[in-house]
Amino acid sequence: MRKTSYALALLAAAALAACGGNGPSAGNQTFATKYSQQVVFGDSLSDVGTYAVGGIALMGGGTYTINGNNTSVNPELTGKNYTTLIAAQLGLPVPCAAQTGLMGTASTNPALNFSVPVTFQANCFNYAQGGARVTEAIGPGNAALAAPGALTIGATTVPVVTQIANHLKKVGGKFKGDELVIVMAGGNDALELLGELTAGATKAGGAALAQSLLQQLVPGTTNPATAQGVILNAIQTQAAKSSDATAIIQAAIGAAATQGNTAAVANAATIGATAGAAAQAAGLKFQSDNAASLVTKMGTAGAQLGVLVEQQIVANGATHVVVNNLPDVSISPSALAQSADTQKLIATMVSTFNAQLKSAVASDAKVLYVDLATISHDQATNPAPYGLTNTTTPACDLSAAKNPLGSSLVCTGKNLIAGDVSHYMFADSVHPTPFEYALIARYVLEQMSVKGWL
Amino acid sequence: MKVRFNVVKGLVAAGMLAAAAGASAQEANTWSVSIGANQITPKVESGPISAPALPNSLGDVSKDTQPVVLFNYYATDHFSLEAAIGTPYKNKLYGAGSIAGTGQLGTVESLPPTLFVQYRFFQPNAVIRPFVGIGLTYASFRKETGSGKMTALTNPGAGVPTTFSIDNKWTYSGQIGATWNINEKWIASAAFAKARLRTDLHFSTGQYQHVKLDPNSIMLTVGYKFSL
Repeated sequence: MRKTSYALALLAAAALAACGGNGPSAGNQTFATKYSQQVVFGDSLSDVGTYAVGGIALMGGGTYTINGNNTSVNPELTGKNYTTLIAAQLGLPVPCAAQTGLMGTASTNPALNFSVPVTFQANCFNYAQGGARVTEAIGPGNAALAAPGALTIGATTVPVVTQIANHLKKVGGKFKGDELVIVMAGGNDALELLGELTAGATKAGGAALAQSLLQQLVPGTTNPATAQGVILNAIQTQAAKSSDATAIIQAAIGAAATQGNTAAVANAATIGATAGAAAQAAGLKFQSDNAASLVTKMGTAGAQLGVLVEQQIVANGATHVVVNNLPDVSISPSALAQSADTQKLIATMVSTFNAQLKSAVASDAKVLYVDLATISHDQATNPAPYGLTNTTTPACDLSAAKNPLGSSLVCTGKNLIAGDVSHYMFADSVHPTPFEYALIARYVLEQMSVKGWL
Repeated sequence: MKVRFNVVKGLVAAGMLAAAAGASAQEANTWSVSIGANQITPKVESGPISAPALPNSLGDVSKDTQPVVLFNYYATDHFSLEAAIGTPYKNKLYGAGSIAGTGQLGTVESLPPTLFVQYRFFQPNAVIRPFVGIGLTYASFRKETGSGKMTALTNPGAGVPTTFSIDNKWTYSGQIGATWNINEKWIASAAFAKARLRTDLHFSTGQYQHVKLDPNSIMLTVGYKFSL
């Protein structure tokens, strides 16, 4: 009896040994290439919390996506930036912002306080900052761009050139050579240049509007010499209040009437249409006259970024530098809200920036140039394989009531639009959702694998 | 594994002993036991990995060669049955299509046991006997093993390694080959077989991939004939 049980036990053990471990397993999850740390230079797309302080932190924000861990709602809503995902996949520490703080408006209401001392974090190596440009110090969100007295978060927007200098200062001037360096910038150069173009066009349009109104209204007045000044003053006073063309036209016609141009009120519609057309034509002319210079400036910025990568990063000892090019901003909700001509201009600005950047870095074996522009464009035109359900609508509710900044910087699981936004491409008008960040992480890692960097 | 080899050894020994009873060419009601090697080369036509993935993320599978023990029963002068046992084939999985160049993403062991019904031409004592066969195959997969790269490409940074499994499939195979009657006792055979094999990979991320493997197999064996 005892013998039988022993034999049975042996048989059972043999059967277990034969079966054990025959199912799926994860295998070796480590990589041949070992990195000591991740060092990141860039803008909001790589920022892991430069502005996660003061009112922004209180609102649950701090990064440019759907902030916070909302995986209990949907597994894709991780709140994580692609740099965080890549670091985790490579077994590196969770990246943190090398500099934190805000230089915006102070408030006794903690939720609206955007004045928080700038602090340098000695053990954090992600220098990317929302609003940062390649070499220009003032980017979107910077207090210098706000109207006097207006609410501003006062983004520090330290440009990439300074970010790299700050890192070199911190580490004694040299990279060790075993860091994974990630560089991604250019978006704010595009946005800022476009902002300048729009402002310039508006100004040119306003000037043309005033000129046209004066030409039409002054001759019919009783004393043209006096009327010229009165009407111009009326136009300027109204323009200071609002750029609304209809209100300006009405103010001018009203002033002309007081100066004896009795026909002005009766002919208001014609006068307004003529002036409006002149303003529009002037605005468009300004845009088309200056579009070429925007493209040139973007090309310069791309070349400058390439020089920074080569002369400040690679030349100082980095051997694994991932350079993400500028994604196709022309497919973003921000661009889709603009005219077809402007969208075309944006596409040209992006491709010019990337062409200059690529020609500077792509032939360097120590650089991996990752073409996110092509991928983002493909995602917009062919979303299904990527698992994207929407590539045009921001997932965040950006209305003033729900989002005081109108930015994903303070977008959380609590101020999303209705419905399942887990697989949307954009969180706000330009920034990705966590799902899109995961797609970016996967593509960067895929390219690293092909390059033999995993 | 040990259990399996012991069984194999036992069977071979039994076959050899039985063979002592003696018999000749592949005539009715005789047997043969052969050993040799079998190379299986999947002819991969991969479908894309389902969303979310880079479009046209395909896969490729490497070939492998393993020892094989072959049992033939010659029921009549022309019809025979063939079954083989052997060690599992170790196949490497690579990225292809838009993820070509990413390198080895995983490994899997496969075992496609097949029972062939064969028709053998010419007389049983002919020096060379060509044959054709048709078989029932059970393609089974085990030890599907992922990698850091597979996780990086499917679910990076989540701390959840990606695993995958491959569906086992019943299918059929065709075979052509020839046996050389070296002498009264010994034979040598060469055979080419092709199986129709389409299966699905299921990833732990919820993604799947349909693949056509349709493997080619080239088997070279040397055997000993006997009758029971």
